[in-house]
Amino acid sequence: MKGRRYLAVHLPFWAAEHLRQARPDLPADQPLALWARQGARRLLAALDHHAAAAGLEPGQALADAEALLPELQVLPAQPEASAAGLRDLALWAQRFTPISAALPPDGLLLDITGCDHLFGGEAPLLASLISALAKTGLSAQGAIASAAASAMALARVRRDAPIIQPGAEEKAVAPLPLGPALRLPGAMLEDLARLGLRVIGDVLRQPRAPLARRFGAPLLDALDAATGRRAPPITPIAAPPDLAVTRALPEPILTAEAIAALLDRLLAALCARLSRAGLGARRLCLTAWRVDGTEQRLMIGTGAPNRDPAHLARLFAEPLTSLAPELGFERFTLHALATDPMGAEGQGALPMGAAPRPDGVLAQLLDRLGQRLRLARPAPLPSHWPERQWRAAAPHEAPSPTPPGWGARAAPVLLRRRPEAVQVTAFAEGAPAALRWRGRHYALTRAEGPLRLEAEWWHGGALPPARDYHRVQLASGERLWLCHADGRWVVQGDLP
Amino acid sequence: MTADTPSPPRSAALARLRDTLAGLTTRAPGGAASAPIPVFADTSLIGAGLARGALHEVCAASPGSGVAFAAILLARCGGQVLWIATEQESNLVWPPGLLPFGLAPDKLILARAARWPEALWAMEEALRCPALGAAVLMAGSGQGLDLTATRRLHLAAEAGGVFGLLLRPEGAAGASAARTRWHIAPLASADAPRWRLSLLRQRGGAPAGPWQVAFNAATNTLHLEAGGG
Repeated sequence: MKGRRYLAVHLPFWAAEHLRQARPDLPADQPLALWARQGARRLLAALDHHAAAAGLEPGQALADAEALLPELQVLPAQPEASAAGLRDLALWAQRFTPISAALPPDGLLLDITGCDHLFGGEAPLLASLISALAKTGLSAQGAIASAAASAMALARVRRDAPIIQPGAEEKAVAPLPLGPALRLPGAMLEDLARLGLRVIGDVLRQPRAPLARRFGAPLLDALDAATGRRAPPITPIAAPPDLAVTRALPEPILTAEAIAALLDRLLAALCARLSRAGLGARRLCLTAWRVDGTEQRLMIGTGAPNRDPAHLARLFAEPLTSLAPELGFERFTLHALATDPMGAEGQGALPMGAAPRPDGVLAQLLDRLGQRLRLARPAPLPSHWPERQWRAAAPHEAPSPTPPGWGARAAPVLLRRRPEAVQVTAFAEGAPAALRWRGRHYALTRAEGPLRLEAEWWHGGALPPARDYHRVQLASGERLWLCHADGRWVVQGDLP
Repeated sequence: MTADTPSPPRSAALARLRDTLAGLTTRAPGGAASAPIPVFADTSLIGAGLARGALHEVCAASPGSGVAFAAILLARCGGQVLWIATEQESNLVWPPGLLPFGLAPDKLILARAARWPEALWAMEEALRCPALGAAVLMAGSGQGLDLTATRRLHLAAEAGGVFGLLLRPEGAAGASAARTRWHIAPLASADAPRWRLSLLRQRGGAPAGPWQVAFNAATNTLHLEAGGG
């Protein structure tokens, strides 16, 4: 294990801050606490820094905490979501090194051996990681050492981002308090405290054999890992290796031609791997690292799995123009973020009974158009309420069958995006006879209706008022679809 | 370009040449797939219908009538239809209303462009794609569509063999390279819609109409009313 370097990140308020990222509606300046049920009691599970600064502690009863801090916002803890978020964060951390691991509940571990020079050294690497996390609203403490557990123990306790030279781990961890640094069980900590052992150094000075007899192997294992005497393996989160290709360039490139040529090479390599794996790409991300250390990302999506380099290159053509090379790019990575199984002959694998998707040429056209326009295939819905008669399905979805009777009702051919207010100025036998519309007066030659539509009560919630629809014709022959609801008249659409 | 009238033997030779060229330039291999799109029986149309692989225009006095007429034509070309509109358009094409005119939702793909140049780009891309049956672009009154743009679209339609349709409001249309230009206005009607339809211009032929037509949904035909024209 000699020669390896590890960067550990401790996220002291991870669960709360992660939840806050997902819920921007929570006021940022008010304390937040998450609670979990333990038996019949509701205990604080996680806090943010406001709540911690106000003196609350995890494990406290929720009712006590609310009494102490009336402005406390409380939400139920979501351990699965926060664990998944931590895994995502570990994947994100792969921008610094290919080997990263999530250490639940609130830690990240990166093997940065040989990576630090890309960022100008270990200290700038650590600083840029912490500041990148801070930008997304995460408090983080980091440390670098030659043993993973030493770095983790230091990150949990020290806020000054220590960087420990190889061999100095034992000295560095000696003053750390046992509880926060090693995450030992509470009962063991109490026993150690009764013996007067509070920091790691205290325990290290004790003879090992009695310690092992008294506390068992877990304590010694934790100590050995923290001092770097023994290094347990870490379990990195790695993206499946066949889904990404990287090219590092000896000389930065900045012309559009050079970038396009490089993209062609990356696509060819990626498509060859996809072909071997029997996959087609659905979403690709091209990451370009500039010489000044910033990165730019371009995303494309396809409607059907695809591994044709020429087609994918065409989809990238438009986004490529948005790259700003400045002094040049020195490194490119092409990730297949989403893939689907794809047969050898190019037809996407279909679930049983599914209708075939649009064929190749049409799918490629839709892909190209879909980069710049919003495409939708109308999928009929069995509803009488006008706005719910169809939904916009993905254009690559197989067309859904039209239910019998759908669209048979005399429907408008155009619907106003926003209903247009209109005044009915005269009535004949309860039906509109004259309109004031767009500042002009119109006599109606014909009016049919009303056709009363009641909202679909089975959807629950607040029901919109019932609507009366009238089909009216102006003297010019133009036919409008009027809606009368809640005492208001609007033009809702055009009839043929 | 066709200023001088050719003498009879020359015109026969030209007609043969035109036929040969038409056979060469028609992309779709099938007979029915490349046949012109019928409108109704007596339209005095060159070629007895609207040519595929060409751009056509419909100018509508009321938005509803134009969309309905477009739906009838698009349904007849078979194949998938791309319907392009911009986000600025205040009306949404409403698929349930198009079904009575023969255009089923499973044939329809709706495209919404954020800006007009993107809508034009999409129209051109779509017209170049032989996998599509037809593409229609809804042009508002304020949207630039000059001779150059329409010629570009027409060439794209020729290249892809796709039926192209421009849907424009009345009075907005200036010079255009479209093969035909139609005008449609609604007429007073009891139940099924009735329209006054006229062929304002066609390339290589004379204007025709107006006709009074009504659409019969049961037979999917436009029929000419007696006394029209």
